[in-house]
Amino acid sequence: MPVTDQLMARCRKGDSRAFHDLYHAYSRAMYNICLRMTGHQADAEDVLQEAFVQIFKNLDNLASDTSLTAWIKRIVVNHCLSYLRKKKVYFEEVEDQEWKQEEGVDETEHTLTVAAVKDAIGQLPAGYRTVLNLYIFEDYSHREIAGLLNISESTVKTQYMRAKEKVRQIVKLKSKQI
Amino acid sequence: MNLEEFIRQNRSGFEEDGPGPDVWAALEKQLPQPRKERGRVVAMMARHWWKAAILVALIANAGLLVKYLNTRQPVAVVIPEIREMETYYSARIEQKLETLKQLPAAETGLDSLTMKELELRNDTYKMLEKELAANPGNERVRAAMIRYYQMKLELLDKILEEQNKYANDSTSTSTEKHVL
Repeated sequence: MPVTDQLMARCRKGDSRAFHDLYHAYSRAMYNICLRMTGHQADAEDVLQEAFVQIFKNLDNLASDTSLTAWIKRIVVNHCLSYLRKKKVYFEEVEDQEWKQEEGVDETEHTLTVAAVKDAIGQLPAGYRTVLNLYIFEDYSHREIAGLLNISESTVKTQYMRAKEKVRQIVKLKSKQI
Repeated sequence: MNLEEFIRQNRSGFEEDGPGPDVWAALEKQLPQPRKERGRVVAMMARHWWKAAILVALIANAGLLVKYLNTRQPVAVVIPEIREMETYYSARIEQKLETLKQLPAAETGLDSLTMKELELRNDTYKMLEKELAANPGNERVRAAMIRYYQMKLELLDKILEEQNKYANDSTSTSTEKHVL
C-alpha cells in the first residue's frame, strides 16, 4: 500500500489502522536491515519493534521536506547501532597507512553465489559486517558511515576493504571444500 | 565481477521475508493514543491557558480600578513623575514586545487579539491614560497605571521565558533528530 499524505495525516490523528498500514509498507525492508545488522532473527524483531515505537511517537516531529523513507531508515539503523553497542561491538580507529597498503587488494572474485556470500558476511566480525552492510546494502557513503560510527572516514574505508577481503577468503575456502 | 556488483545485481536474493506477526501484535499495544479533534483556538487556549488567565486579570485589574474610581480631582498640569514612570515602563515593554513579535504566532500561542491586548497603546491603556490625564493627582489611578505596566511586564517576561524553554527543548529535540 502506498504511503500517502492522507495516511500520514491519519497516523498523526492516532488512527491504529493507519499505523498498521504504515508499518506494513516498511516492515519487510526495515526488518531486513535489522536482520543484516544484528545477525539474529529474534534480535532483529526486537530492534524493529523498538524502532517503530519511536517512529510512531515522532511522526509529528517529521519535517515536511524530509523523506519519510530516509527518516524511517535512519531511525532503524540507529536502533541497530545501539543494539551493537550494547553487545559491546566497538568501531576502532586504524592507522591511515594500513588503508593505503590494502588499497591494492585483488578483487577478482571466485564463482559467487548468494548463499555463499550471505554465509560469509554472517561470519564477519560484527564491526566489519556493520561497515559492509551500511555501505553495500544501505547505500551510505564512507563519510556518512564515519559519522554514524563516530570514526574517521579512512578507518571506514580500511574496515570495508578488510571486510570484502575476508568475504572473498571465506567464499574461496568454502568453494575448495565443496 | 566484484562483490559490490554481485550483491547489487542479486539484491533480491539477499532479502528475507518480513518479520513475524508478533512484532505488530506487540507494537499495537504501544500505539500513541488517538487525539480528539479540537478546534485550533481551543487547542491553543488549552496549551496556553495561563496566558489567557493572566490577560483576563490584566484587563480586569485596569478596568475595575478605573470603574470604581470615586474621586476626580482635575489638575491642569501633568506631574513629571508620571511621565518618567511612563517612559521607563514603555521602553521596557516595547523592547519585550519587539522580541515577542520576532517569534512565529504558532510558537507563542498568541493570536492577533491577544497580541493586541499585550501591545502598549491598546484600548485599556488609552482608557487609563485618559483617566490619568483627567486625574493626575489621583493616587488610585496612578497605582492602577503602575500595576497595569507591571502586570504587562510580568506577563511578557513569563511568555518570553516560556518561549526560551520551548526553544531550548526544540533545539535538544532537533539535535536528537539530527543524530537519528
